[in-house]
Amino acid sequence: MHRASRDVEPYREERIEPDYIRAGGSDRNAHHLTGATSLADTAVPGIIGAAMPMRTGVLVLLCLSAAAACAPSSRPGPLTFSGSAVGAEADVVRRQLARFGERYPGVRVELRVTPDAADQRRQLYVQWLNARTEEPDVLQLDVIWTAEFAAAGWILPLDAAVPDAGDFVPAALTAARWRGTLYAVPWFIDVGLLYRRTDLVPEAPRSLSGLRDAARRAVETGAAPFGLVWQGARYEGLVTVFLEHLGAFGGGILDEDGRVIVDAAPAVSALTFMRDALAPAGFAPPSVLTWQEEQARFAFQNGDAVFMRNWPYAWGLLADASRSRVAGRFAVAPFPAADGGRPTAALGGAQLAVNAHTADPALARELVAFLTAPEQMLERARLAAQLPARQSLYDSDALAGALPLPLDQIGAAIAAAQTRPVTPVYSELSEILQVRLHRALTGQQEPAAALRDAAAEMRALLARAGLTGEGTAP
Amino acid sequence: MAWGLAAPAVGVIALVALVPIAATAWEALHLHDLRMPWLGRPFAGAANFVEAAYDPRFRAAVIHTVGFATVSVALELVLGLALALAMHAASRGRGLFRTAALLPWTIPTVVAALVWRFIFDAQVGVLTTSLREAGIVGTSFDWFVHPLAAWVPVVAADVWKTTPFVGLLLLAGLQTIDPALHDAARVDGAGPVRRFLTITLPLLAPAIVVAAAFRTLDALRLFDLVYVLTGGGPGTATEPLSMYAFVTLMQRLRFGYGSALSITVFLLTFVFALVWVRALGRALAEERR
Repeated sequence: MHRASRDVEPYREERIEPDYIRAGGSDRNAHHLTGATSLADTAVPGIIGAAMPMRTGVLVLLCLSAAAACAPSSRPGPLTFSGSAVGAEADVVRRQLARFGERYPGVRVELRVTPDAADQRRQLYVQWLNARTEEPDVLQLDVIWTAEFAAAGWILPLDAAVPDAGDFVPAALTAARWRGTLYAVPWFIDVGLLYRRTDLVPEAPRSLSGLRDAARRAVETGAAPFGLVWQGARYEGLVTVFLEHLGAFGGGILDEDGRVIVDAAPAVSALTFMRDALAPAGFAPPSVLTWQEEQARFAFQNGDAVFMRNWPYAWGLLADASRSRVAGRFAVAPFPAADGGRPTAALGGAQLAVNAHTADPALARELVAFLTAPEQMLERARLAAQLPARQSLYDSDALAGALPLPLDQIGAAIAAAQTRPVTPVYSELSEILQVRLHRALTGQQEPAAALRDAAAEMRALLARAGLTGEGTAP
Repeated sequence: MAWGLAAPAVGVIALVALVPIAATAWEALHLHDLRMPWLGRPFAGAANFVEAAYDPRFRAAVIHTVGFATVSVALELVLGLALALAMHAASRGRGLFRTAALLPWTIPTVVAALVWRFIFDAQVGVLTTSLREAGIVGTSFDWFVHPLAAWVPVVAADVWKTTPFVGLLLLAGLQTIDPALHDAARVDGAGPVRRFLTITLPLLAPAIVVAAAFRTLDALRLFDLVYVLTGGGPGTATEPLSMYAFVTLMQRLRFGYGSALSITVFLLTFVFALVWVRALGRALAEERR
């Protein structure tokens, strides 16, 4: 999910228009037309480079002028599924969708290719769902979007479709629920991992200070130029790294009632730890503040770092002896805890949800249940190396040999998995945090002041969204 | 009859320019967040503009934009003038010289920005590694991590790319200056500096104003260079107005507030354009006298 964005597939433009052109007198349609104008609006001077909205705007104009050509196709058509379709993932999903079609004769499922970059896919989904399009019927959501989509009424409850919800990894289930109702089904998961060089540090550090000492020692003895590398650019990845430090010190971003606690003492300690790591006498290079997953992997892969915080995808690439200098000399563990905290692994991954305006909710739920069944998850693990979201698969020997990662090491990280705040305004909350964290880490603000400002902005945001305090609800 | 003939053109202009701007201005008067449909889209009057006035990130973005425009356009005018004088003076290989000087201008901005990003890269960048080997910067120095140093690649890339454009405009101006004036001044005993200050510069003023106008308007819309080079960081230390509007509209999906920011970018550029057109008119009038 946080991988460097690959080529963006052109999305299916004809999926956007049906609702815009159903012009009529009702309020609902009037709302759609305003939606259409606001999309066209974005093509104003000053928004250079925003190719997507401009294209959408043009498309809307075209459709308004030639309504007949854009008339919505009449149901029953094929069921549509939107999600990642790059490389091995595309093979797996195509294969499984075809199998679903065989199981339900007369049903055809089409894959709607959407951009692989998470931000772009979300923007597209938000525009579609705001316009109440019927398609795609089933959506692949990033774990951090479910609450947002559920609160907006864009996706359907799924409790009835998943009788065995208890089988899923608890953290993934937390992210799939909004106000006690299941709105998405975990599909595959990602967990933050601490990679280490086993030739330099044979045993995983038991505490954060152990990690710091080992990293510092390695730099001082010249074993490697960098002690620890992580994702420090101003983007979502920085929040996951911060979340792991935060958990290590026993802090959090929001408490269970949705109140902001990111300015509390543990958070200040966590951010101070991160900043001090970057200091001249520290053990992480300041350049990590411009790095995403891949730059960190390159550094570790070239043998330049003793520790690296990254996602499971890196394992297969690091183990490839033809490209990696550290093949066979690394292992993973959860990010360790400091005093008063617990080992924490940020949870990522994808979930499946059903469009609230789908023409066939029952069939769409069937598809979700089918894709998240154990057999499909095992196939996905085998072919695309993505971690199943069902706990029972790790407890049995079903996964043996299916994944490149050693199950015992990954199991410890899954047990430490922690969701990012489950709130409808997560994206903006995260953006606030990214800016403030980056300011503190680049020395523009003291950690305590940065977090105080971040907390104030977050509280203002929650107030504006009508989500303050307990019983946060639209 | 005249209006009838002009109608298609007027219609097209209205459709592609006036209608979107008016629609954006209307949107800017509403509270509209695509991610919070439960809030609806109530009319909010000037609330979005009031919020912008109190938004420190917006004010910083204005300062970044204006500061960048001032510094980069000043550098481009000085270097562009030097380039124009050199191109004007070159006698042999004139065509080749001019073509070579124009090369940076022909490279797409995003491609140029990627190359500059590579040059300034802390691990493998030519510039950074040479400075490090010469002992001028520390081993952990990274341009993109310092709030002020991060501007250097942005300004460098902009100056490198657009100086040829300024040079070409000024060269055209230089060629309109009658050589007889210089000859007469030389006979009267004026040295090269005196001739430059009293003949070349005043007669070049209209061309300078045109070049400055084009470049300032471009610089005020700064987006692509920053998007590729710094992403607006570290923190938001290099975030210009159009990028803040982009983030608000396309990432936060706050259409009301984002539209208000876009309208502000539009007004800022528009006011500058008006001022410059006035200045241009005055410069031309003086020349005629």
